[in-house]
Amino acid sequence: MNKTKRFLIVLIVLAVAFAFLAPSIRWYYLTPKEDQALALGSREQIRDYAWRVARSDMADLEKLATANDESPLPARFDPMVKRARKIYKDLGLKTPQAWSAKAYLAAFDNRADALADLEDYYRTHVLSLKSLHGSAVQLGLDLSGGMSVIIRADLAALEAKTGRTLSPAERNDAVVRAVEVLNNRIDKFGLTEPVIRRQGDDRIYVEIPGAADPERINGIIMGRGKLAFHIVDEEATSKLTTYLEANPLAIDDKLNLTDPSLIPAGTVVRKFYTKDAYGLDEWTGRYMVINAEPGLDGNHIESATVSSDPITGQPEVVFNLDKEGGDIFFKLTSANVDKTMAVVLDDRVRTGARISGPIQANVKITGFAADEANNLALILRSAALPVELIVESQQAIGASLGADAINQGKNAVIIGLLAVFAFMLIYYKGAGVNAAIAQVLNLYLMFSILSAFNLTLTLPSIAGFVLTIGMAVDANVIIFERIKEELREGKGRKASIQAGFAKAFWAVMDSNITTILAALFLAQLGTGAIQGFAVSLAIGNMSSLFTALFVSRLIFDFNTDVFKRQTLSISWRVK
Amino acid sequence: MKRVIQFHKAFVPAALVSVALIVFGLAGLVTKGFNLGVDFQAGVNQYVQLAYPVADISYTGKGTPVLSISESAVMVVFSGADVVAHTATWDLKTVGTIVDLAAQMTTEGIDMKIRDGAGLPATLLVPTYQGNYTLGPQPVLVYRAAKGASEVFGSIEQVRKAVETVGSVSVQNVGAADSMQYMIRVRDDGKDSLFSAKIPGLVKQALEGAFGADKVITMRTDYVGAQFSKSLASSSWKLTLFTVLAILAYATIRFKFQYGLGAVLAILHDALIMIGFIVWTRMEFNTTSIAAILTILGYSINDTIVIFDRIREDRRLDPSALLLMVIDKSITETLGRTFITTLTTMLAVLALFLFTSGSIKDFALALLVGMISGTYSTVYIASGFVQLWENVKSSAKPRAVVSRIAPKEGR
Repeated sequence: MNKTKRFLIVLIVLAVAFAFLAPSIRWYYLTPKEDQALALGSREQIRDYAWRVARSDMADLEKLATANDESPLPARFDPMVKRARKIYKDLGLKTPQAWSAKAYLAAFDNRADALADLEDYYRTHVLSLKSLHGSAVQLGLDLSGGMSVIIRADLAALEAKTGRTLSPAERNDAVVRAVEVLNNRIDKFGLTEPVIRRQGDDRIYVEIPGAADPERINGIIMGRGKLAFHIVDEEATSKLTTYLEANPLAIDDKLNLTDPSLIPAGTVVRKFYTKDAYGLDEWTGRYMVINAEPGLDGNHIESATVSSDPITGQPEVVFNLDKEGGDIFFKLTSANVDKTMAVVLDDRVRTGARISGPIQANVKITGFAADEANNLALILRSAALPVELIVESQQAIGASLGADAINQGKNAVIIGLLAVFAFMLIYYKGAGVNAAIAQVLNLYLMFSILSAFNLTLTLPSIAGFVLTIGMAVDANVIIFERIKEELREGKGRKASIQAGFAKAFWAVMDSNITTILAALFLAQLGTGAIQGFAVSLAIGNMSSLFTALFVSRLIFDFNTDVFKRQTLSISWRVK
Repeated sequence: MKRVIQFHKAFVPAALVSVALIVFGLAGLVTKGFNLGVDFQAGVNQYVQLAYPVADISYTGKGTPVLSISESAVMVVFSGADVVAHTATWDLKTVGTIVDLAAQMTTEGIDMKIRDGAGLPATLLVPTYQGNYTLGPQPVLVYRAAKGASEVFGSIEQVRKAVETVGSVSVQNVGAADSMQYMIRVRDDGKDSLFSAKIPGLVKQALEGAFGADKVITMRTDYVGAQFSKSLASSSWKLTLFTVLAILAYATIRFKFQYGLGAVLAILHDALIMIGFIVWTRMEFNTTSIAAILTILGYSINDTIVIFDRIREDRRLDPSALLLMVIDKSITETLGRTFITTLTTMLAVLALFLFTSGSIKDFALALLVGMISGTYSTVYIASGFVQLWENVKSSAKPRAVVSRIAPKEGR
C-alpha cells in the first residue's frame, strides 16, 4: 500500500472516530445543565413539561395578539417562528415583515393546531437532547452518583403462599408483574429516568442516576403497588380540563392545584395513563378528578384473566373478587350506575370503565385492544398475587463523590500520559514523538469506541485506560528495540524500519492477543465496574495495535520519503 | 554484540525464592484469610462523614430548583415549565465566606439561613452527597467540615463505640484522620430479610446518638446480599480458571505445549504472589482485586510471549545451539524491552496510585506488585520451566536437543 492510501485510511478512521465522539462532546460540554436536567427526566416528565410550557406560551401569544401588539416576538420564540415560516412557505403565502404574535398565530388554522405545534416543538427539542444523551458515552454510577439496586423476586415465597409449584409461565408472569409495579412507582419520584431491566430469571436491576436517596428509594422499591377502584367525578373532570387549557400552570407537577376550590372537596386530581409502543407508561395528556376515597381496594381481587367476548370477539378482562369485596363492589356499582370507575395503580389512572349496572363478584371490563387488555389484567393480578421483592445488592453513591471520581480519573489519565511521554521522549528521542502521537491517537480512539458502542465509563474503566496507556507503549517499544538492533547491524534508516516492523509484528500480535483474551474473560465477571475495566482494556489493546503497527509506521515512512531523512533519531547510543 | 547474561544460572535459586514467597503467602491465606470486601461477604458498607450543620436552605419561588455542592462550586439548576431555565453557579474559591454566599443566593430567591460559621470560608462546605436536594419551602440542610484540628470532634474509636450495638461491625478511616470520614461495615448474617433497608438508618441513628443530631452525613452506601456474593465468588474462580486455560491453549497453538505450560506456570506464580501480598497487607479483597489479578495474568503473559517469540526465532537461526544458550541470548536481547515496558506501565499505574483513592488505589498498588512479579517470573519462571522440561526430555532421549529442528510456524 502506498503512503497516500495509508494516510487516507488513517484520516478516515480519525473522521469516523470523531463522528462517534461528537455526541459525547456536545452533551457533556455544550449542553447547559438546565437542559440536561430536562432531558434526563422521564418521557412522562418531558411530555408534562411540553404540555405546560406550550400552554403558557400560548397564553402569552394570545395576550399579545389581543393587545394588537405589532412588535416582533421575543428571541425565545425564534425556533417556533422558524416552523411557522415553513408553514407560510408551504401554503405559498408571503411571509410577514415582522413576526408579531398575530402573524405567528395566523400560520395555523386554529388555536388547537398552534398549541399542538408549540407542544411538539418543545417535546422534540427535549427528546432530541435525550437521544443525544443516549448516543454519548454513559457515565457509570461511580462517576455520576446515583443508586443501583438488584432485586430478586421471591418466587419461593409466592409458591409457599399459593401452595403449589409455579409453572414457568407463571414464574415469568410474576417477575413481569414485579417489573411493572417498579416501573410504576419509581418513575414518578426520580429526577432522572430510571433504568429498570430484568436480569436472568428472577432478578431485576434498577438504576437511578443522579439521585442517591436510599431511604426514599427503598421505600418506593419495597412498598407494594397499591391498586384501587375509584369513582370518577366527570363533571369536575371536564370543568378542570377546560380551566387547565387556559391556565396550564394552575397545577404543579405534584398534581397540587394552586386553587384547591377548583375541584369539589373529597376529590383529587390524577393523571390518566396509557402504554406507549414500547410498553412504557405514557401520560395521555388528560387529567381525571376522582373520589379521594377508593370505592374498593385491590386486595379483594382474587384472579384476573383476559378472554374474548364469545359474540363480538372483542378482548375483555374478567376478574373475580372475594366474598367481602363482592359485597362492597355490589353496593358501589349499585349506587353509581352509568358513572365511570377508574382503575388506579399507585396514583395513576390506568383505565376507566363505565358501570353498566350493579355487579357482584365477577367483573367484566370490555372495550379495548388486546394489548391494553393484557396490561390491565397484569395490573389487576399484581394486586391479587403480590410478589415479595428482596434486595440482593445496592449501591448509593452521593453525586458529589462522582464528581470527585471524575477529577481523580482525569488527573490520573493526564499525568500517566505525560509521564509516559516524558520517558519515551527522553529514551527514544525523535522516535519518542512518534510513540507519543500514537498514544494520543490511541486514547482518542478508545474514547470514540466507547462512545460508538454506547459503553459505560466508570472509574475502573478509566483505570483500564491509564493502564492501557502504559501497556500500549509496549508495542512501540518492541518495534523500536527491533529497529535499534537492525541499526546496530549497520542497516540504513529505511531498511531498519522495514525489518524492525516485520520482525516485531508477530511478537506484538501474540502479546496483544493474549491480553485481549484475558480482558474478554474478565468482561464476563458479574459486576459492571469490572466489566468496564475489562472492556476498556480490550479496546485499548485493539486500538494500540492499529496505532503502533499502522499509524506509527506511516509516520516513519513519511519522514523517510517526504522529508528525505537519512538517519533515525531513536537512541542515544545507536546513530 | 552485547554480552549475553547467564540467566540460567539463577533458575534454581529463583525457583526456590518464588516457592518460599508463595508458601509464605499461602500460609497467610490459611492462617489469616482474606480481608473480604463487601462484594464477597454479605453486608452493608456505609461511608459517613461527621460535620457541622451550617445552614438551612429553602426556596419559596416557582419551580423546583435542585442544589448541588461539589468540591469547587455551589450550583442550583432551575429547569421545568414554571421557571426560566438557567443554572446559577457560585465558585467556592472566589465567593468568600459562607455569609457572602448566602447574600449572593438571595439574588436567585434562595434563602440560606446560617446556623453557624458565618464568617468561615465557603470552601469548607461539605459536598452534597446522599439525600434529596430539591429546594422548596421545606429547608435542606448543608454542612461544613471542621475548620482545623481543634474542631475535629470524632475519632475512629468513638465511631466504633457508637455503632457497636448495630451488629457485627468494623470501622475504617477513609482519607485523612481529621477529615472525619469513616467506612462502617456491618455484616449480614442473612437472618433478617429487611437488613439492607434497616441497617443504614440504624448506623446513622447510632452515630447521631453519639455525636449529636444533624452532624452525620451519609456519603455512600453499598449492600451486597448473601446469595449475590456467593454467585460472584464462584464465577470469579471459574473465570480465572478459564482465562488461564484460554492462555494455555493459545500459547500451545502458537508455540508448543511446554511453552504454554511454562507461561501458565509463570502467570499462576504472579497470581499467587499477588494473593500473598493482598493477604499480608490486609488489603480488602473484592472484585477489583480479582480484576487486578486477571490484569496481571494478561500483562505477564504479554512479557512471556515476547521472550518466547524471541527464543523461537533464535533457535531457528541456530538450530544446533544448546537451548540453555538460546534462552540466555533471547532474554538478554529482549531485556531492554522488558524493562522499558515495565517502566512505562509502572509510570501509568503510579499515576493511578497517586491520584485516585479507595479501591482503585488498592488496585493500582496490587498491580505494581503484580508487575514486578510478572517481569521477574517471565525471565526466571517461564523460561526456566521450558529449559527444565527439555532437559528432562533430553536426558530421557539423549541428543534430542541437538538434532531438534526448529518448531514449525503456524503463520
